[in-house]
Amino acid sequence: MTRTLPRASYRPPADPAAVTEPVPGARRRWLRIVVLVLGALAFIFPFYYMLVGSLQKKSDTSLGGAIPRPGNLSLHNYGQINAAINLGQTLLNSIIFTAGVVLGTVVFGILVGYALAQLHYRGRGTLFAVMVLVQVVPFQLLIIPLYVQIVRSYGLADSYLGMILPFAINSTAVFVFRQYFLQVPVELFDAARIDGASELRILRSVALPLVRPALLTAILMTFIGPWNEFLWPFLVTKQHDKQPLAVALANYISTTAASAANPYGAILAGACVLAAPAVALFIAFQRHFRSTDLGSGVKG
Amino acid sequence: MKSRTLPSIATVFLLAATTTAACGDGGNSPAADTAAKAHGPINIWYSNNAQEVAWGKQMVAAWNTAHPTETVSAQEIPAGQTSEAVIAASITAGNAPCLIYNTSPAAVPNFQAQGGLVALDDFADGANYVNARSGSTAGQYKSPDGKFYQLPWKSNPVMIFYNKTEFAKAGISTTAPPLGTYAQFLDTAKKVVSSGAAKYAIYPSPSSQFFQPWFDFYPMYAAESGGKQLVENKKATFDSDAGKAVTGFWQQLYAQNLAGKEAYNGDSFADGTAAMASVGPWAIAAYKGKVDWGVVSVPTQTGGASEQAPTFSDAKNVAIYTACKNRGTAWDFLKFSTSAEQDGKLLEMTGQMPLRQGLEQQYAAYFTANPQYKVFAVKTAHVVEVPNIPQSVEVWQAFRDSWSKSVIFAKEDPNKALSDAATKINGLVK
Amino acid sequence: MTIVVPRGNRPRGKRLAAGILGRQPIGLLLSAPYAVFIAAVFAYPLGLAVWMSFHHYIFTAPGVQVPRPFVGLDNYTAVVSDPAVRQAFLNILVFLVINVPLTVALSLVLASALNAAIPFRTLFRISYYVPYVTASVAVVGVWLFLFSSGGLVNNAIGPLAPNPSWLINGFWAMPSIAIYVTWKQLGFFILLYLAALQNVPKELYEAAAVDGASKWRSFRAVTVPGVRPATTLVTLLAIITGANLFTEPYLLTNGGGPNGKSASPVLLMYQRGIEQGHPDVAAAIGVLLVLGVLLIAGVQRFLERD
Repeated sequence: MTRTLPRASYRPPADPAAVTEPVPGARRRWLRIVVLVLGALAFIFPFYYMLVGSLQKKSDTSLGGAIPRPGNLSLHNYGQINAAINLGQTLLNSIIFTAGVVLGTVVFGILVGYALAQLHYRGRGTLFAVMVLVQVVPFQLLIIPLYVQIVRSYGLADSYLGMILPFAINSTAVFVFRQYFLQVPVELFDAARIDGASELRILRSVALPLVRPALLTAILMTFIGPWNEFLWPFLVTKQHDKQPLAVALANYISTTAASAANPYGAILAGACVLAAPAVALFIAFQRHFRSTDLGSGVKG
Repeated sequence: MKSRTLPSIATVFLLAATTTAACGDGGNSPAADTAAKAHGPINIWYSNNAQEVAWGKQMVAAWNTAHPTETVSAQEIPAGQTSEAVIAASITAGNAPCLIYNTSPAAVPNFQAQGGLVALDDFADGANYVNARSGSTAGQYKSPDGKFYQLPWKSNPVMIFYNKTEFAKAGISTTAPPLGTYAQFLDTAKKVVSSGAAKYAIYPSPSSQFFQPWFDFYPMYAAESGGKQLVENKKATFDSDAGKAVTGFWQQLYAQNLAGKEAYNGDSFADGTAAMASVGPWAIAAYKGKVDWGVVSVPTQTGGASEQAPTFSDAKNVAIYTACKNRGTAWDFLKFSTSAEQDGKLLEMTGQMPLRQGLEQQYAAYFTANPQYKVFAVKTAHVVEVPNIPQSVEVWQAFRDSWSKSVIFAKEDPNKALSDAATKINGLVK
Repeated sequence: MTIVVPRGNRPRGKRLAAGILGRQPIGLLLSAPYAVFIAAVFAYPLGLAVWMSFHHYIFTAPGVQVPRPFVGLDNYTAVVSDPAVRQAFLNILVFLVINVPLTVALSLVLASALNAAIPFRTLFRISYYVPYVTASVAVVGVWLFLFSSGGLVNNAIGPLAPNPSWLINGFWAMPSIAIYVTWKQLGFFILLYLAALQNVPKELYEAAAVDGASKWRSFRAVTVPGVRPATTLVTLLAIITGANLFTEPYLLTNGGGPNGKSASPVLLMYQRGIEQGHPDVAAAIGVLLVLGVLLIAGVQRFLERD
């Protein structure tokens, strides 16, 4: 794979804030901002509409309904959802389910992603092929045999482990880790090897400190799957006190919502509740997407 | 790496496949005769519809108080499409409950083929109980081998609900709206849409899932054909004058944009977008406070549709599943939950019609207090069920696909589509 | 460039191990948990799926004996000669042709824009990311509202609106879904590119600016090559997600849409396998789908190798 880094002139990157635009580019900068704004509006409008819809006392599906009218706003829909499903317990279940998956993916995924990218060992090619295969195969093909295996062979019905197991290590995250480690200059590792460091030492002191952007990406990416997943947790758990929020909401949508005062609003309220933690997590993490000190790892 | 990928993948496939073939099934269902007499705690599932849950809870509590050694524990599963997938998966895994109060008659042939259902005839009074409770309607629920693998539990006879407010706005009578013949129905539909009272006259879901014909084609076909099922004696029956009449009628509705062709988010009748709906009494709870509704029988070509005209039953039944160990208790509990007393409670709490003969006489007090439900009670004795045949889901899917193409999207002549579907279905059921 | 360690410095045992297990056998240890996970969770269902596709198979309750004869390629022939299945594969091809290039291009451009020091950067990033985290079930309702025949879009473009409207139009149904999915997934791919952009050294841009390159030129000469591995990843993931499309055709067009023009292979697998109780046919469709995706991915990798 080609790399565009000139070896000899590798220096720590400059502070991004110090990069200034040449003056004639000022107009282009405004153009860029306008395009971004239009795009952002197009992207966020449906979500905004969802938010407004969830706050409406009476469903207003006309075009004018997009503008929130003070007389028609209330938190009633949220109250209804809270009364219908135990938001606290289901949120906790969602968190346990998601945390289990994220933990498994991060801990074991980094190890295997690093190994696939930078280490040479027998079976590496096969493992990579299997990893690709696991992502390509659609879940609907596997769902009933998987259910039989988890519930019958492993006896994990109605348990958090049963929910977590099929998602325990997200293969796409492994792919991302691998791709990320492939981008790290091999010289960093070879330099450490020449210095006599053991492979584990290299993993701990060289590879892991570098992995932060990939780690954040992987967490954000792995989080969404189990957080929004409905069918699998539903199949595995019938006890209400173990069901995650996505399942409880789907049940609510399919039944009780119809008899609510504003069924569509109640559904939107539920969806907003489901989306809120994911958005919050993103807001917290995206700050870290700044240049890393990659250059400082290479001496001379 | 890339050059090794394909052979590696092939090896993985082969290895996994051969290992699986070597593995057996493992596990057994309890022997039928011993299980039929066994008594002990059992597990049941019912739908998570709010009213049914309320009914279910009081029923289970009543039983548990009277039978402390044979306690029943209950869980809810959604009543929607996913429930079939859930039940099929649990049959395969061997952890299905003893009773499921949400078994769709269309899914029974598949569950039976999986070996997941217990024949009620295995119990000494099985067949007698079913026949005594449901009368002549029970016959439709027998499987091809002559046994009952389901107990006909409750029905939601499909009728035409209309929005009185919107009809009044369009200048149509709200006490005796002209909806008896196809011609009258079309006229009324045109009037209500052109007057601006509603966007659509009627708005059954246009999606292509296999069960959608149960709410547009099938109720009217039942009425028009005098009570025929879609398939009888291994032959499709709908490639007939009755079938063509119903299809022609709906084609008119769609062609004149009186019925919506796009997926609608929510309930179009409750929202007032559609002036009519083709649905059963379970929906009444959802319309309370939103729509001032009236109800009539589905139309037929020449009219004269009386209260006794057939319609689709939209029944949900109860079945005993083979994973059940204490089948004696399961059967006793089943009889308890469908006793006259519990059927009465079901009627009061959910407004759905137990599939019990002589409903109006048995619960005369209820129908006097709630006269708007009486018409459904009368219909319950004249419901038509989906045919109990193997491949039933595939048959309905084939029908829906051809309906979608010809009636909703007008890409094919409906009569030709009908006969093509009949040929295809005859091939599936022979 | 590889650093070669002189042979004499390594103990003999290690050299032997290196011969059998590779230069860094510790890789086996690091990969073991993942390998065990795959073997424990996916091997059986996957193997069963392939096995099913060559037999007449139905799921049965434990202990129920049912003949499961080997039928060779019968399931595959039945599937390939079914016009509905062929249409579904064609639909996915249409989807991929629209979705993948659009996704790659848009996400890279947006990621570059969002990487720069612009005002309200956080707010912008959040806007683009939000659709990705919202459950499809809720967002679909909004899209239906926007694209229905009386909806916002048709009102805005007036006489240009297609008739019948977007989602029930045989020609426009799949492209509409492609646009919807592109919009919804873009946040994820922007994320991948954002992470990759952190690794493109700033002094390359500085060097390009010093050389007098325009913004566009430096984008083409520095950014695009610099994130090549991420582009591979994005393309591959977009192809895989697109091929496995299920939720959107199901929710947006409620099943197969007009004449099955927006059905997807996975939707058919769900219908045939789970609803109709024919997992053998569904498995055949699934295996064909997997082979198709591997083929497309292989072609893409080959084209990239140059």
